[in-house]
Amino acid sequence: MSSAAFGILRSGYVARDSFVHRLDGRTKFLFFLWISVFNYVFYDLYVTIVSFVVVMLLVFDARIQRFVATVLVIIVLPIVLLGVGIIGGPFGFAHNKTAIAAVQLFGFTVGIYLEGTVYVSVWTSRLAVTITAALLAYVTTHPSDLAAIMLKSRLPYKFAYAFLATIQLIPILTNEITTIYQAQVSRGLNVQAKLIDRFKSIIVLMIPLTLGAINQTQIRAIALESRGFSAPVKKVMLRDPTLKTSDYAVMLIMAAMTCVFVYLIWTRGLVPFMAGIEYVRPGG
Amino acid sequence: MTIGKSTVPASVQRPAGFAILQIVLIPVIAALNYVTGVIINILKLPLFMDTWATMFGTVVAGLWVGAAGGFLYNIIMAFTLWGLPAWVWGFINIYIAVITWVLWRIGWVSVKSPAKLVAAGIIVGVTNVVPVTLISWGVFGLMPTYAGTAWIYAAVLASTKDTLSASVVSSIASEIPDKLISLVLAAVVASRMPARFTLRPPKA
Repeated sequence: MSSAAFGILRSGYVARDSFVHRLDGRTKFLFFLWISVFNYVFYDLYVTIVSFVVVMLLVFDARIQRFVATVLVIIVLPIVLLGVGIIGGPFGFAHNKTAIAAVQLFGFTVGIYLEGTVYVSVWTSRLAVTITAALLAYVTTHPSDLAAIMLKSRLPYKFAYAFLATIQLIPILTNEITTIYQAQVSRGLNVQAKLIDRFKSIIVLMIPLTLGAINQTQIRAIALESRGFSAPVKKVMLRDPTLKTSDYAVMLIMAAMTCVFVYLIWTRGLVPFMAGIEYVRPGG
Repeated sequence: MTIGKSTVPASVQRPAGFAILQIVLIPVIAALNYVTGVIINILKLPLFMDTWATMFGTVVAGLWVGAAGGFLYNIIMAFTLWGLPAWVWGFINIYIAVITWVLWRIGWVSVKSPAKLVAAGIIVGVTNVVPVTLISWGVFGLMPTYAGTAWIYAAVLASTKDTLSASVVSSIASEIPDKLISLVLAAVVASRMPARFTLRPPKA
């Protein structure tokens, strides 16, 4: 994963005034779960493309398209290229029959095949939809709302703390490793060295980072205790997110679309629109 | 300490702050797994190493702390950068925590016995191929997802015409060095930790 991808988690919540931002966090996470599940149920490129368009419209509404595009380029694009090159290519994917483009080289047919390319496109577009929906929910929900939602969902407050503390710790530790790295470089650490030497470099970077983090753990524990973290009382939150009319409208649309999807599966199976393309199980 | 009706003390009670320390360590383990990716990126190393902190947490603070920290790391990644299906990778971290704990209990995860440590790393890597392949089947459709071993995947697919075999062989090629180096790193960092930082509960 590149530093650009880490920058996205580092930046966390993006404050904007949009329809998506005004939705309750529960609605956004429900949408994320809902669209992810249905994208993994259907084996149909058209379904995932329509889902992706819907999610991208919401992304544009929330004005986080740069974030999303960066993540998709970093995470999904390499898988697409590898997949199409190997599974869609001439490496023996068992279902490949129909050549999209082929040339004869030294008596061998080298080409890109429809079945393998569709297989890769379906799986990678599923990934693209779920990643985009996840980012949409995460980047447009305030961390305090996240904590409140977790407590309202009856999750243990210790889990809510651990989840939020991780999100807070990631930028802190990322900054610390940058400082440690600069200090070690000034002491002669060579990141352009041979592979073995670079492996050894991990230790000189990880030991100060880990010991510093453990030290902070003790301070953090004292601070939490001083605020009554383990006190046997009901915990209250600063923010109290509530479901609004727009949230109920979105949930209603999801419920209606669920009925449509169930009807499609019932009547047309898991490949409702891609005529002539067989369902291929992984490894099948 | 409340003993109840029994007149025999059950055990020496742990200090009250100990449980808090362990809970606070869980996000640290998750964040360390994450930040390791930054280091791997800086050093341009051909590995993932995003389970070493799970191993480290298991060694210094116990099984459930390591497993919870590792699982939380995957939950965070699934809800942000990797997409929902990737949460199942969390089971890999739980498995890693369990096997590390077992190997640590029998004394194989220690820098004092390097041969056993290397053997332990290989065991973790080899056995981890099974859950990795299962997840790759369900989430990625057994596609090649890692450029470092894509050529192995392509070679095996070309000779066997079987995506499962290609996925298993390329997983073996990436998992063994990754888990071996992760376990060595966890053991080395744990060995360098001052005693006052040790988070294992005091023995009764």
